Amino acid sequence: MSQPRILAFLCRWCAYAGADLAGTTRKHYDPNLISIRVTCSGRIDPSFVLEALEEGYDGVLIAGCHPGTCHYISGNYKALRRFTLLRKLLRQMGVPDERVRLEWISASESDKFVTVVNEMVENLRKLEPAMPVEQHT
Amino acid sequence: MQSYLYFPGCSLRTVARDFEDSARASARALGLELKEMQGWLCCGAVFPNVADNVMTNAGPNRILARARAESDTLVTLCAGCHNVLKRANLQAKRNAIKQEQINEFNEERYEGGLGVLHFLEVLRDRVGFIAIREAAKTPLRGLPVGAYYGCLLLRPFEEMKLDDPHRPSVLEDLLFSIGCMPVDYPKRTECCGSFLGVGAPDAMALLSRNVVQAARSHGAKLLTVSCPLCKYNLEESQKQDPKASSSSGPLPVVYFTQLLGLALGVSPEDLRLSDTQLQTIRGGAKSTVESVSQT
Amino acid sequence: MKRVGVFVCHCGLNIAGTVNIKEITDAASKTPDVVVAADHRYLCSEPGQALIKDNIKQHRLDAIVVAACSPAMHEITFRNIARAAGLNRYQSEIANIREQCSWVHDNIEKATEKAHVIIRQSIEKVKLNELLDPITVPVTRRALIVGGGIAGIRAALDVANSGHQVYLVEKTGSIGGRMAQLSETFPTLDCSICILGPLMVEAYRNPNIKILRLSEVEEVKGFIGNFKVKVRQAPVYVDETECNSCAECVKVCPAEVPNEFDSGLTWRKAIYIPFAQAVPPAYVLDAKSCLGLLPQACGECKKACDKLGMSCINLDAHPETHELEVGAIISATGYEMYDAARLTEYGYGIYPDVMTSLEFERMLSASGPTSGVIRRPSDGRIPKEVVFIQCAGQREPETALPYCSKVCCMYTARHAMLFRHKVPDGQAYVFYMDIRAGGKGYEEFVKRTQEEGGVLYLRGRVAKVHEENDKLVVKGVDTLSGKTVQIDADVVVLAVGMVPSQGSRELANTLKASVDENGFFAEAHPKLRPLESATAGIFLAGAGQAPKDIPETVAQASGAASKALNLLSSPTLEREPTVARIVNEFCSGCGICVPACPFEALSMNRERKIAEVAEALCEGCGTCVASCPSGALSLRNLTDTQIMAMIRAGRG
Repeated sequence: MSQPRILAFLCRWCAYAGADLAGTTRKHYDPNLISIRVTCSGRIDPSFVLEALEEGYDGVLIAGCHPGTCHYISGNYKALRRFTLLRKLLRQMGVPDERVRLEWISASESDKFVTVVNEMVENLRKLEPAMPVEQHT
Repeated sequence: MQSYLYFPGCSLRTVARDFEDSARASARALGLELKEMQGWLCCGAVFPNVADNVMTNAGPNRILARARAESDTLVTLCAGCHNVLKRANLQAKRNAIKQEQINEFNEERYEGGLGVLHFLEVLRDRVGFIAIREAAKTPLRGLPVGAYYGCLLLRPFEEMKLDDPHRPSVLEDLLFSIGCMPVDYPKRTECCGSFLGVGAPDAMALLSRNVVQAARSHGAKLLTVSCPLCKYNLEESQKQDPKASSSSGPLPVVYFTQLLGLALGVSPEDLRLSDTQLQTIRGGAKSTVESVSQT
Repeated sequence: MKRVGVFVCHCGLNIAGTVNIKEITDAASKTPDVVVAADHRYLCSEPGQALIKDNIKQHRLDAIVVAACSPAMHEITFRNIARAAGLNRYQSEIANIREQCSWVHDNIEKATEKAHVIIRQSIEKVKLNELLDPITVPVTRRALIVGGGIAGIRAALDVANSGHQVYLVEKTGSIGGRMAQLSETFPTLDCSICILGPLMVEAYRNPNIKILRLSEVEEVKGFIGNFKVKVRQAPVYVDETECNSCAECVKVCPAEVPNEFDSGLTWRKAIYIPFAQAVPPAYVLDAKSCLGLLPQACGECKKACDKLGMSCINLDAHPETHELEVGAIISATGYEMYDAARLTEYGYGIYPDVMTSLEFERMLSASGPTSGVIRRPSDGRIPKEVVFIQCAGQREPETALPYCSKVCCMYTARHAMLFRHKVPDGQAYVFYMDIRAGGKGYEEFVKRTQEEGGVLYLRGRVAKVHEENDKLVVKGVDTLSGKTVQIDADVVVLAVGMVPSQGSRELANTLKASVDENGFFAEAHPKLRPLESATAGIFLAGAGQAPKDIPETVAQASGAASKALNLLSSPTLEREPTVARIVNEFCSGCGICVPACPFEALSMNRERKIAEVAEALCEGCGTCVASCPSGALSLRNLTDTQIMAMIRAGRG
């Protein structure tokens, strides 16, 4: 896949359904995004994000249900807390904010999904292309 | 002194000097300054509101761009100018494609950030009717006035959002605060005929006369407006058919700023009130309830 | 090592049009551990399914990856195919190369490349999938129905008559809902309460149905088949078993308030019977309109009742919380009318002779404020000119409701017809945009109204209603003749829209069901699953889900009951086994996972000082897994190892 590449963790109840809806309504977005379906945004361990960046993905998108509508009630709140700490860690490591993004996307917000993807690709284009960790040595 | 950037528009500098002068005088009496913006031009009247309005919105956008250079708020008086500028401003926000075409044509870019207000909004939301009541040294005790809104101040509601499009109250609230007794009558939000006076004067006369008739039959001694065209139509339609007006003569039409100024103690000369108008105001006030509850 | 088979679907041209099927099938066949890769036009079809089953047998596959549409569509279909071919159903994975690939990209090269990666991800995942079997849980074979209107009553009777217990929870003092307020029903002009009454009594007498009046659902815990519900019942000041409806208490009550049953057209006392045919047949004391209970300000009702030797009234009653265990819940909360005062052009609330359709309905009713005689609210005169305005505040996305309430064309025709019957020298006008008369006998009914009923139908909207000389001046237009129309009416009736009942949103939150943008309960799928909410175990019936007429409501209620009975028909239920699991040796007993779980499925074992998972409560979200610092917790079939493998599958 050509750059910039984005890995998206989409919660299966909201964000993944929203991305599917973009498909059923034939809305187009940048093919440089690939998703992994998770049960809930609360399932996401910050180490997944770090692994993705080490793999050479230019950006990581985490998307879950809007606060108050999580299918598992509070998983997304845990995701938010973890993301906040992760953001601090990433800044300390010098990783630009644009690379990792947390969004709330409901099952009917296919437009929002497409907008977020296209925005992220645009922002990441302006940064240096990422390289997998192995290639640095 | 609180200063507001102000757009006069063509009519207010020519046939409607009484509107502008009374507005500026009453603003001064309230401690406000209406500061004329630089480089203003004609707003385009109703032409900018057509569907294919890229070309016709070039003028309004120049006004918005130039006003934006001086302030983040622009105050208008004429209902027509207000309608045009407010909607051009909204279109700039909502239709990026058209806006880009207009900006490229103009070579003066308007990128948003300006709020377009009507003077009534300034009076209602920034000054407040309670402050106006307190400042009214010579309230117009019980004067039965018919407030006439016409169309352009209120509609289309989704864009104008100044007041309820069917049962507005901003003019009545203002009139209450200066001691008048506003009259509720059914035609106060119906069209006066607008530019039909040019092409189909009979149609315009019918519409305007309906308004006058309704106001009169509900007890109004005069009408107050916020638009030079409405004023013209309402007066002209009465002139054309003297039989239609009652024995007491035609119903005078004044601008709301003239009544406001009078209540604030501004002299009738400075407000450009004619003798007939002044007579009706003084006479009308005395002939009804002496003291009126000003709440 | 698992033997994996990859099957790529063309989906006609849906996928094949943008993704090079041959290329990705070839590439898949060359991936390590993949022993066979095949493609087919429609894998979900019979021949497609046969292809998969044959390949499983022929190549002795251990697991399959199906590259096709979204798992939301056919995950279960292909799991069943795997099962039918002798595999554990969890050895099937879907690679979504349609909704998230072929349908959203137009560059064939890039879409193909991406499809390639998506398939590799699924291969990596399926390689590590465990063989799992569903978890069995017991089912509480009772149902809870929220809302005692015709939908709730019908559903309750169906469930009860099949031998299961039902709790019927109703907010007001009596069941019956809106249908009790109607006079006649279209198109047969049956008296509404006459056909509803027997059903209400049947529900009351059915030993399997327990009616909880003056009650609201406060809390719902648990999951499908095993709900624990707290229902709060307002203080029942009048004992329904003792009360014999003698009405002596009403005579002495000094407090009067507008009567909700008559849409505010009449008054009722603080102690009252909701309507004559109320079920349970008992009076209700409305604490809010009573002069005071704490401390007791009046007490006349109790005195009157005690004097007769009855002891129905207890002014010291307390609210009661019922804790119920049920397996299925049906939401049948119904509708109310849109607030007509917001339609400022019609003057509702300003001119007393402008009424809503429900108010007019009450006026038509023999049990209504004027015993069925139509009178002007302002002066009591019989109106001669009545204007009906359809689509009042509806089909107007910018200023009011965007949708159509479906039933107004029909009830307006009925109203106009009945007005003409009662006032033969009167004239009725109906302003309409369209006539929606799609049910059985509906079109014929409207035609009768126009032809025999002599009602004048004007196709156009009403711009404004104002009062002049004691008449309501209605200014509208008749587009078919192209003229403006002015009618000086005596009464104007607004056909306002149906909106979800007050408290629907709160109830939806409590049930963890969702509502749509208009506040109606959201169905799981608008076409194929209109009776269930997206939340397992919660079913929907009636106008609370969307505006509809009585036959549709009854049909949907019986349907929802049937879904509930489906659930209650067996003593056990299967739950997904993709739940959390603890490796005891790694657990340090820190306890961080326990509060992380929204379902209280994790707890600390005090003796062993490690955490434990209650599999029946676990919903499989994985939040606890991500919170565990020791790596002791994992989510079956979505482990950290699997996710890492999927992340790395992007290589190359």
